[in-house]
Amino acid sequence: MDLPSATSAGELRGLAERIRQGDASAETELVREFSHRIFVMGVVRTHDREAARELVQDVLMAVIGALRKGQLQDADKLAAFVHGTARNLINNQLRAQSQTPPLEPLPEDLAQACSPERLEDAERVGLVHQALDRLGQDDRKILWMTLVQGHKPGEIAAALGLTSEVVRTRKTRAVKKVADLIRKKLSRT
Amino acid sequence: MNCQEVEERDILEGYLLDRLSGPEREEFEKHYFECGSCFSQLRTGLALQTELRREPAMPVRARCASLRRAWLWAPAFAMIVILCSAGLWWYSAHTHTPSQQVAVPPKGSPNVPVQVQTTPAGPSLEELARVEPPPYSALVLRGAEDESHETFHKAMQFYVKGDYAKAIPGLRAAAEANPQSASFNFYLGACYLLAGQTDPSIVSFRQTVSLGDPAYSESAHFYLAKAYLRKREVARAKDELHKTVQFHGSLEAPAAEILRQLRN
Repeated sequence: MDLPSATSAGELRGLAERIRQGDASAETELVREFSHRIFVMGVVRTHDREAARELVQDVLMAVIGALRKGQLQDADKLAAFVHGTARNLINNQLRAQSQTPPLEPLPEDLAQACSPERLEDAERVGLVHQALDRLGQDDRKILWMTLVQGHKPGEIAAALGLTSEVVRTRKTRAVKKVADLIRKKLSRT
Repeated sequence: MNCQEVEERDILEGYLLDRLSGPEREEFEKHYFECGSCFSQLRTGLALQTELRREPAMPVRARCASLRRAWLWAPAFAMIVILCSAGLWWYSAHTHTPSQQVAVPPKGSPNVPVQVQTTPAGPSLEELARVEPPPYSALVLRGAEDESHETFHKAMQFYVKGDYAKAIPGLRAAAEANPQSASFNFYLGACYLLAGQTDPSIVSFRQTVSLGDPAYSESAHFYLAKAYLRKREVARAKDELHKTVQFHGSLEAPAAEILRQLRN
């Protein structure tokens, strides 16, 4: 089960310190906390899900390596550190493509925590399908025109005979409705 | 950046559609690396986008954008109409010949399948799966082109020469830089198919279909059917052929003919 993160800033700070002290469970927590974020960032920036999956491993290995050595200066900035590492590795990958040698793979127990099945969110996509069926036709159209066709609220409003404000509100409400349904279903499993 | 800004400035959609400026993207990423609520919505948004892209095009489209696209592609439409009229004339003139040729355009005529000679048992799946390259005529657009269009046009020079494998890297780069372009995705799919790479061609044609561009939807369904025929996935091929027929466009006749052959 992959719930949205509820980790507080204080817990993140503690995580960095625990990893420095050699706490293996803290490394698993770190992987669970950030693997999806790195994956989503990789998908959006590279448009390549396979590359994004590999990237998750590379980024986490680099971060864990640095934390073990105590290289994070300010433990309050763990999230920013992970993001910066991900950004640098993605940029390097986009610049050099396959010329960059792969980093050392994650240990098996950590790799399981960010396996392709977990990252690809198959369960979430299935729930999205169910949730879409529950939305009204106009709300589905608004989401489709926004996320697939890339139209702005004003354009959608013109096409559907609504105001931009109404389109924006309905879009936000529809995404939240889907997110809520997913959260409820996932919390039951 | 905070949660309110994300909502008010349509940041989440802009991020998923790769439309944010570099600094905006950076700011949003920093934000969702710390904000569980925004990240949850982003994951949902990505899953929604993935799922909605798999669905057939919805009937309503923004009228202004569609009109703009239609005008942009007017020369291509005109070319397709001329070529297909010639193809259909040729087809109708030969459908009742004793050799029972099906969907027989002149060699090299685009947008219609290659000549398929029927045998007593009918054409094989391999024969039905054969394709001619879709037509392409370079459009000269007013104003400066962006980098992805330049990459596309350079790649299409290989396409015009029939070197489909060499066209693929450029088309892939163009499609990655501009994933909302139906033409980039369509010709990338065509090149994959013509170069014998069936699975990636299916991905590109499905992406083309999901974009709902009227200039490419019918052709994308048709060539998707061809790709499935090549994989011997007849049910899926039939499904795509039926969708092609529903457009009542220039590919209706060849798609209907292949469906007839598949029933025999």
